[in-house]
Amino acid sequence: MKDLKYSEILARNQELGTSLPEDGGYEICVISNVIVNQIKEILEYYLRVEGISATVKIGDYDNVVQDSIKYKDSNLVIIFWELCNLVDGLQHKSEIMSDDEIEGLETKTISELNLVFENLKSTSLVLCNRFSPLCFRSGNIGSTKLEMLSGRLNEYLERRNDKNLRVIDIDKIMAITGVQNSIDLRYFYSSKSIYSVDYYKAYAKYILPYIMAINGKSKKALIFDCDNTLWKGVVGEDGMTGIDMSPTSNAGVIFSEVQKIALSLNQEGVILGVCSKNNLSDVEKVFYEHPDMLIRNEALTIKKINWKDKVSNLKEISQELNVGLDSIVYVDDSSFEVNLIRQQLPEIMVVQVPKKTHEYPEMINSLKGLFYTLSKTKEDYNKVQLYAEQTQRVKKINEYANIEDYLSTLSLIMTIYVDEITLASRLAQLCQKTNQFNLTTKRHSEGNILEFIEDDSVYVMAIKVSDNFGDSGITGLCIFNINRVSGEAEIDTLLMSCRVIGRNIEFALMDSVMNKIKLEGATIVKATYSMTLKNEQVKDFYERCSFNKVSSNEEKFEYLIEVDKYKPRNLDYIEVKHGK
Amino acid sequence: MENRIEDRVKNVMSAVFGVPVDEFNDDASPHTVKGWDSLKHINLIVALEEDFNIQFDDEEISSLINYSIIVSTIKAY
Repeated sequence: MKDLKYSEILARNQELGTSLPEDGGYEICVISNVIVNQIKEILEYYLRVEGISATVKIGDYDNVVQDSIKYKDSNLVIIFWELCNLVDGLQHKSEIMSDDEIEGLETKTISELNLVFENLKSTSLVLCNRFSPLCFRSGNIGSTKLEMLSGRLNEYLERRNDKNLRVIDIDKIMAITGVQNSIDLRYFYSSKSIYSVDYYKAYAKYILPYIMAINGKSKKALIFDCDNTLWKGVVGEDGMTGIDMSPTSNAGVIFSEVQKIALSLNQEGVILGVCSKNNLSDVEKVFYEHPDMLIRNEALTIKKINWKDKVSNLKEISQELNVGLDSIVYVDDSSFEVNLIRQQLPEIMVVQVPKKTHEYPEMINSLKGLFYTLSKTKEDYNKVQLYAEQTQRVKKINEYANIEDYLSTLSLIMTIYVDEITLASRLAQLCQKTNQFNLTTKRHSEGNILEFIEDDSVYVMAIKVSDNFGDSGITGLCIFNINRVSGEAEIDTLLMSCRVIGRNIEFALMDSVMNKIKLEGATIVKATYSMTLKNEQVKDFYERCSFNKVSSNEEKFEYLIEVDKYKPRNLDYIEVKHGK
Repeated sequence: MENRIEDRVKNVMSAVFGVPVDEFNDDASPHTVKGWDSLKHINLIVALEEDFNIQFDDEEISSLINYSIIVSTIKAY
């Protein structure tokens, strides 16, 4: 997709800005020691077209430490800390400074960085650019003092292990736009503005995956058509020997590359599947027996190989995997299918195999960012297995008439963990990614979770669910606080991963939450449902748990219940255990 | 063709300053246009350069503070 011109971005961004929520939506602050004002509308635009109502603020010029206090409550803080303005004109002054002076500058900068990261400790997400001497040194041979200083500051950034910090390798961005095209020295000398609008466009696109991920918008499943998509040729016509995905043939190598990229995504937890109009036996034979096939049957969590229309098949894929249509990326070579799906299921991202097939592997590779998740946890690596178990369960459900009968055959075990510090990363991830069964959709960060765990009046209750088919891992969370003076408890967060929905685990969790609240001596519990586009299914959850609705408007329902009036379900087919 | 340059300049100014196109007259300048400060001036120059695929000289940049001057400067490229 060709980039819009800056003036077009400004105009479109103004239009998109008219429909922002009143609270300003997702608030980003860019703090910097140079002038970066042009990033504001560019970043806003790239996020708003992705459905994130973002507002970008720009901190004061060269006021990073103070701004890190002022803007710490933003949803995201981005730090542009440029070498050239560590002291005025450092880009060339560095070479005539003494080693002691350089070392002094290094110490001063690191202590300032320390302060900034401490101030931003509770911010959900902080993106800090790596130091780069490239603007002023790209053509030089040998290494300069500026480069050495830059290297040492970057070592410091690498050593920082803040859970909420991600370091942005801006050299990669400059490699995309080219150094000459990334900077505009005219405004550097007059106004300390260094980067070009082309650079800001590339920067915005580069950091987009982080922001998509923390807003629960990462993609989860990559589904392929088969013929001329996973291999060259049509298996139903050309047969096993006629199709080609050989790494040593000119036509096949492209498809071999695409399969490797797909498998690497699979290893990071992305679900792979196929959706193809074909005879099942023809295609299965390829997955099981073709010597050049890299994606084997075991790597595919879901297969829809039949002669039904693809729109119905993709809908079924979404249901069976229990992932939203907007979490699916579908790849197909046929313009007919691509356009049909784009028309009928606009939520699905559809990618068409390019006519110039040499561009195909890079096209799939460039999708990787869409699947990015902020914290890689054990569950991610097991996820593909988990989704496979989920589809088995759906199949099994269809065999039973009564859902309770079915559930009682599963040997369900729910294990409860309270204030377990080692789960913080996974729990933050659940807060960021869970959209459907999520009563308040608060996107708590790992830092927030750690604070809750340490706070004596706040309880972080996590659950692990397992059954005959496998272990779903940590898949549910309730955060509540208890005011011991007033005897009031309040549920801040209640969510469950869609992987465990449909097994009445939510009621067992509610029983445990109420039980704990009672034990801690509270007499009244307050709870809230905040509506989003995706959590319709839990709209009446508290009512189903016999809570009383005390107020409601279009976006929010508030509930109360006296602890003694709560009727536990005590579901006999769910065994409740307590983790260490 | 002449009109198009004028319209294009006004469109760019409208996008940069967030002011409707028909509010710009020939004398539009930092004195008459709200928000036309030194930072927005950089945005304007960058947007015009990208739109017309030209690059102004350093001396020109600081003199381009009036709509008519901008139009005549661009026409000279």
